[in-house]
Amino acid sequence: MSSVRPDLIEKVTGRAEYITDLTVPDMLHGFVVRSPAVHARIASIDTSAARSMDGVVDVLIGEDVASFGCWGVVLKDRPIIAIDRVRYVGEPVAIVIAETIEIAENAAERVDVGYEELPRAATIQKAMADGAPLIHEHHENLQDFYFKGGAKPTQGSNIFHTYRNNVGDVDAAEAAAAYVHEDHFTFPAISHFAMEPHAVIADFKGDSLTVWAGAQTPTAVQKVLSRLFGLQLAKVRVIVPFVGGGFGGKASVKIEPLVAGASWKVQRPVRVAQSISDSMLTCRRLGAEVTIRTAVDAKGRILAKSAKLLLDGGAYSDTGSAVATKSANRIIGPYAVPNLRLEASAIYTNTVPGAAFRSIGGPQAVWAKESHMDNVAAAIGMDPAEFRLKNLAARGERTRPDLRALDMDMSELMGRVTQSFASESQASNRRSRGMAVAATDPANTPIANAIVRLKIDGSILVSVSSIEVGQGAHATMARIAAQTLKQPFSAVSTLRTDTAVAPYDWGTGASRSTVVVGLSVENAALDAADQILDMVVDVWELPKESLSLVEGGVSTGSEVLTFHQIFHRTLGVDSGEVVGRGAITPRSKKGALAESPLFWETSAGLAEIVVDEDTGEIHVPRYASAADVGRVIDRVAAEGQDEGAAAMGFGHALYEQLEFEDGQPVNATPIDYTIPRISDVPPVFDTILVENGDGPGPGGAKGMGEGAILPVAPAIANALFSAYGIRITDLPMTPEKVWRALQKRK
Amino acid sequence: MTNLHPVSFSLNGQPVEIEIPAHTLLIDLIRDRFGLKGTKRSCDMEVCGACTMLLDGDPISSCTTLAVDVDGKEITTIEGVTPPNGLSRIQNAFVLHGGLQCGFCTPGFIMAVTALLKANPHPTDEEIRHYLHGNLCRCTGYIKIFEAVKSLAAEQVSEDAALPVARQRNFRLETS
Repeated sequence: MSSVRPDLIEKVTGRAEYITDLTVPDMLHGFVVRSPAVHARIASIDTSAARSMDGVVDVLIGEDVASFGCWGVVLKDRPIIAIDRVRYVGEPVAIVIAETIEIAENAAERVDVGYEELPRAATIQKAMADGAPLIHEHHENLQDFYFKGGAKPTQGSNIFHTYRNNVGDVDAAEAAAAYVHEDHFTFPAISHFAMEPHAVIADFKGDSLTVWAGAQTPTAVQKVLSRLFGLQLAKVRVIVPFVGGGFGGKASVKIEPLVAGASWKVQRPVRVAQSISDSMLTCRRLGAEVTIRTAVDAKGRILAKSAKLLLDGGAYSDTGSAVATKSANRIIGPYAVPNLRLEASAIYTNTVPGAAFRSIGGPQAVWAKESHMDNVAAAIGMDPAEFRLKNLAARGERTRPDLRALDMDMSELMGRVTQSFASESQASNRRSRGMAVAATDPANTPIANAIVRLKIDGSILVSVSSIEVGQGAHATMARIAAQTLKQPFSAVSTLRTDTAVAPYDWGTGASRSTVVVGLSVENAALDAADQILDMVVDVWELPKESLSLVEGGVSTGSEVLTFHQIFHRTLGVDSGEVVGRGAITPRSKKGALAESPLFWETSAGLAEIVVDEDTGEIHVPRYASAADVGRVIDRVAAEGQDEGAAAMGFGHALYEQLEFEDGQPVNATPIDYTIPRISDVPPVFDTILVENGDGPGPGGAKGMGEGAILPVAPAIANALFSAYGIRITDLPMTPEKVWRALQKRK
Repeated sequence: MTNLHPVSFSLNGQPVEIEIPAHTLLIDLIRDRFGLKGTKRSCDMEVCGACTMLLDGDPISSCTTLAVDVDGKEITTIEGVTPPNGLSRIQNAFVLHGGLQCGFCTPGFIMAVTALLKANPHPTDEEIRHYLHGNLCRCTGYIKIFEAVKSLAAEQVSEDAALPVARQRNFRLETS
């Protein structure tokens, strides 16, 4: 029991505090008035009726904060609140600030906004058409602001980023090929649907600002608010209590500038607690159109691959440019392809802004490439598993010259999922199987700091900026500190995230915390250990080599000195602590961490499906998911990550699509939008974690938690293709689509 | 001036009386007036189960229940099923099996499972899936939630037995 995560105890008893459980003295409540228009000029805003209501303190509108300008994390394209124009349905146009949420909500109905409709471009095609209305007239790039690099917009268009990467000569390879196959796939916008909607409390006091937010990247929030409002970084404090799910939807910066703007206006704390419906209008995964082409020789070796991905970035760029770049990297897969032509663009549309979401650009790319792999295999008459095995890049081989060599064997993952099904050697007549694999390059920026404090009684405090969003990061950091200092896990506490206390870290995402922040915690613990050992060396005059840490103190070889004894005798008083500091930078470990990706996040999935031919409904009675995680630190938590990712993958595969009709959201409510329920996950589910201790993290760990989402949709689609010869090319695979495809085949 | 209506009911075994406007929702009464914040508001439209409380032992969505409608009834919240020192056997099973991650849906699941096992101490797999169909979780993929409940369904224990405090002596609850 000593290894149980403390956060789970707090959560299971209802004692864990999330933003909406906090109360700040003198706090007001804000209710956001949202645009019903797809693309419009704001002709007028009349807030007088709302202001006159009892309990209404103020109403924030665009002109109040226009002078602060725009913010962004890659492109500076977003105002604090709509100023003279709205670009999507759901864009905030006013915040009514009142003594109670009830008053604010009632008064919001009396804010009168006049809109003059503008020509709209609500799909990728319309946004890229000749003469399309421009959603943003100019693009201000923020180089190296959040990610290394920036966006490459096409001026005078809605294309806000294009990434290209060419290797070898695709044309020549295709000319020499025995067979060339091209496919086209589409992927819808998908809602993050974290159970806790976005909620923020902001408290502006003169030249300082405190924000309580469920932010995955608190230092990015701090930086954006600092620049936007002209405050010193040290005067902007971001506190992150427990976060009720993020999945990327709370990464970078979301509603924090909006709520900070409201607090700036009234100079009192303001809370905005969104509903899930509001959060569905706040951000979503980028939809995609993908064209992919593969050239093979007579023996089934891939000679060349080209891919063009168009990503629907919505009305504001957020991190859509990075999503596009990653989609181009992630469409390569774990394959050795000598010639590549990759191009991905992110495009503004008049819809809800696109954002990072579990494996950015990954599901879009892997859906296309792994469906396509089975199409190519069928076309050349080869077994799809054999076709994959023939073309896998080996451990140590590069899939592209500018990416780190593969640090795993995909054949091992394929073998493990196949083995998992081995008890039933053949699928029965009614059942068919499909496989898919993925290798992705997490953007796990190697920049982190940690503080580990060892106290006189042997208790230990860990301070990091990583947030606790359910993945168990805080317990993992405590475990790493405990193992490094040879102390029991129960002696270690990880402080809640607070930028005023924790040192700088890039943020919680891209499967980076265990590896990058974990290494910084390990370094900080080693630094603390060094300091305590130095005390013994100094005071007891013993050689350092003879000393070692043991539970509760230091062994000299002949006796154990308790931490208490060491501090007391060294400091002369019965008190004290050592403060260990650990940092990871791109220069750490002689630059070994600088090359991207720091590790590969890889997965294989094998699905068994049963199709109801009368309705087109797909059932998945059995699924096996394998991921190479290097080394498991907390088995239950690690399995839970991949099971959760795979279940999300079932949602992407079979149910989920945030729909827009000419820009109007069709199903942006929890009633109309379907996520998987307990009855929707396969009753037989095998979670395989491959451990070879070969990762760059503590004890050989790699990051994990994103990979398992990737193979699900193409594995199911490949099973459908194998059994019925029908190829679904657009997600989700609804009963109607499957039924129609079955009818067409007949 | 809003008219106030007297309401009296049992909250976690304690009789309470309060005057409230007719439109007050049960979740707001419990969270904001009684300060019991363990119950979470998520979908706010009775589809996700995060706000589940027990009304006379049966699960209800407190986000769409009018507080005046619980007059004379028994309301149980997550605070009411948490032993003063330790965990209920349901809470313990969720922790041991990892049936939670972010925790936002968890109080609702604990309440639903409490009601399930009270009505049916040894549910079948299908009964578990059917009963928990109305509780959404976006983190776990439900696999470990299912395993937790299945482990309880197999147990021959009095359903009120709390986990002995001794089994948790190594936990340190943090106050941030």
